[in-house]
Amino acid sequence: MFNQDSLDKHRALDNRMFQLLSEDGKPLEKGWKPSLSNEEIVQAYKDLLFERTADLMAVSYQRQGRMFTYPPNLGQEAIHIATGMVIKEEDWLVPAFRELGAWLAKGVSLREIFLYFKGNEEGSHFTQANRMLPVSVPIASQLVHAAGLGYAMNYNSEKAAVFAFVGDGGTSEGDFHEALNFAAVWNVPVIFVVQNNQFAISVPMSMQTKSVNIAVKGLAYNVPSVLVDGNDLFAMHEVLSFARAQAMEGKGPFLIEARTFRMGAHTTSDDPTRYRTREEEEHWAAKDPLKRLKSFIEANNLFDLSQEDELVAEYKKQIDSSFEAAEQHPEYKLDDVFAYMYSDMPDELKRQKNIYENYLNQSGGAK
Amino acid sequence: MRYIFKFPDIGEGLEEGKIIEWYVEKGQSIASGDPLVKMETDKVVTDIPSPKGGIIAQRFGVPGETVKVGSALVEIDIEGLEGVQAQEQAKTEPAKATETQVEEKGFGVVGTIEVAGDGSYLPAGTEGLVQRDTLSEKSRKVLATPVARAMARELGLDINLIAGSGPAGRVTTKDVEKHRHHPMPAKSEQNLVQMAENEIVPISQIRKTIAKNMLRSKHNAAHMSVMDEVEVSRLVEFRKAINDNPEGIKLSYLPFIIKAVAIALKSHPVMNAELDLDNERIIYKKAINIGLAMDTEDGLVVPVIRNADQKSLSQLAREISNLAEKARERKLNLSDLKDGTFSITSYGSIGGYFAVPVINYPQSAILGIGRIADKPVIKDNAVVPGKVMPISMSVDHRIVDGGEVARFLNEVLSMLKEPLLIWAKEGGEA
Repeated sequence: MFNQDSLDKHRALDNRMFQLLSEDGKPLEKGWKPSLSNEEIVQAYKDLLFERTADLMAVSYQRQGRMFTYPPNLGQEAIHIATGMVIKEEDWLVPAFRELGAWLAKGVSLREIFLYFKGNEEGSHFTQANRMLPVSVPIASQLVHAAGLGYAMNYNSEKAAVFAFVGDGGTSEGDFHEALNFAAVWNVPVIFVVQNNQFAISVPMSMQTKSVNIAVKGLAYNVPSVLVDGNDLFAMHEVLSFARAQAMEGKGPFLIEARTFRMGAHTTSDDPTRYRTREEEEHWAAKDPLKRLKSFIEANNLFDLSQEDELVAEYKKQIDSSFEAAEQHPEYKLDDVFAYMYSDMPDELKRQKNIYENYLNQSGGAK
Repeated sequence: MRYIFKFPDIGEGLEEGKIIEWYVEKGQSIASGDPLVKMETDKVVTDIPSPKGGIIAQRFGVPGETVKVGSALVEIDIEGLEGVQAQEQAKTEPAKATETQVEEKGFGVVGTIEVAGDGSYLPAGTEGLVQRDTLSEKSRKVLATPVARAMARELGLDINLIAGSGPAGRVTTKDVEKHRHHPMPAKSEQNLVQMAENEIVPISQIRKTIAKNMLRSKHNAAHMSVMDEVEVSRLVEFRKAINDNPEGIKLSYLPFIIKAVAIALKSHPVMNAELDLDNERIIYKKAINIGLAMDTEDGLVVPVIRNADQKSLSQLAREISNLAEKARERKLNLSDLKDGTFSITSYGSIGGYFAVPVINYPQSAILGIGRIADKPVIKDNAVVPGKVMPISMSVDHRIVDGGEVARFLNEVLSMLKEPLLIWAKEGGEA
């Protein structure tokens, strides 16, 4: 199990990455046994498979013109599934926008997620997910909220943690630094998970920072920080569990740099072939988290993988029906766009509403 | 039933995409999610999967063709409608529903085309489908509450003719009641009346382009036209002499006209220029690329002869026939159609004496040639038979002054009157 000793050994300044399984799913250390039960491992695999299937189908829906935009998760799923396993009902999940498996674990429905990416604000209303903030499109702004949530927990003497996500690009934002500083100074129970997928849209790490890695940035604020193989479900699970336990002991924030690779595009409006090489993609395809976990399961005979096709077919049906449910959702009312912010609508807003109403009338009600 | 899948906006504000490769053939059976076509857009190159399963009834467009967001990509025969749904369909859809679906012809297009896409957002329910995707208004199935349907049936009213006031235009019992007392034609009824009298055909992409370009020209350029006649007996003889020569060169009058225009443009650069008012400047074009208006079955196209000033008469003749053949066979590509700096329309080859041509905007001038006529002319104080060619020219008066047009025309006409001048002036400043 990852512990204080492991943390000391994997010094971010030495750029040492914590990893348990090799690319082909074999334990790096002889005699290593997972801290998860066989059932938990199989369930994690199924969850990962589900996330991947839903993710690929979401891209397909978008390409069919049925969804406006979508940020693919392909290749980063182990981070999400591991978070889903560690996060508790009473913990807060503060998402960026690329943590599908973690959202699902928290209780968000696929229907709601699809609705959101179809452009309906009601998709941000997660009816079954306790303690989760909405998807955050502005980069890194959510981290400040996370630090604030942590502060509120301390204030209320709650025994719970905040899991806050950001990407590598987000670490160049001021909000990242403000949040880390605040979290450290006030000793709040916030676990910062940086999904370092190598590219901030098209900007590579080498153009993003001169630091040896992202984890060292946490050290500057005296936040315990560690670099982890984000494509290694076991490694992620152990470090996340340790970080949460630390927070429960009142030891304050923690930063995990989860080293991974976005195998898909940044969003459906992006073409990664313009800024990265095929060699790079192949290099990372070998580290695919799904493939790695599958190899481990196969080697240890934990699950009859011949059932997989059937499982995927079942998932697809389920995902399709969630999507259709999102499509059947009634359109939001025009009023909803303008109401709620003010008790009395200001003239300027009235004017905008009027313009929009005229526009809709002229275009025959088409949106 | 037939479902038309339109090219969706897959990149937050895309306008168009280019077809790279088709993955499906007409008649092929596909499942929902199967890739249909590979498209290149400003943002990505990607496969477009089908939102529906069924049989490909029609493909629109060929590889290399640019497709606007909202234009049809494929038409799919959707399987699996049965029972009540199928009966409803049978009742409401005319048997020959496909007749009204006119195929847009694949065509190398002039410039950019704007297609009014009616939203790339596809409905999931069958109700929405019927409403959106059947081109014939007749087949539109009205949304109505079951009670309203039953009520209309009882009263012997056609529910499709009742205007609905409910959500998404649903017909409610109130509407049926109202219609019974004050029958008001619903929108679809008005259309039905029209449909009975007129044939309604969706316009082709090329027609949309023509319409747009013509309007753009008329809106933006200050048209001014000049007409004149020129006696061309010498040119007629000259041409005959070349064509009769055993060398085998066959020339129409057009190469001579192009040649004369190209030479005259050199000393009148403003006729080969473009007014860029937004940036308060005039762009004088270095190249002399002459657009030739051509009449085709699909509509007007204006392919371009590049560097016309550097080409011989026989070279020009070959290029003209080349472009004409491509136009006939719809094989013109974008490079054949772009970069024109001046245009010529020889409408006289079909008929007409004088005309007021529309400038091929943003060019600054267009020359029109009417039909050569046998007319009496006065030569050495005597009336003699002559060959008279009528000329009509339009310019953008914003940059071309009246005097300049007259001087330009004088030079062109002098060369048409005495073709030897073409040789005298070729290759240098006049």
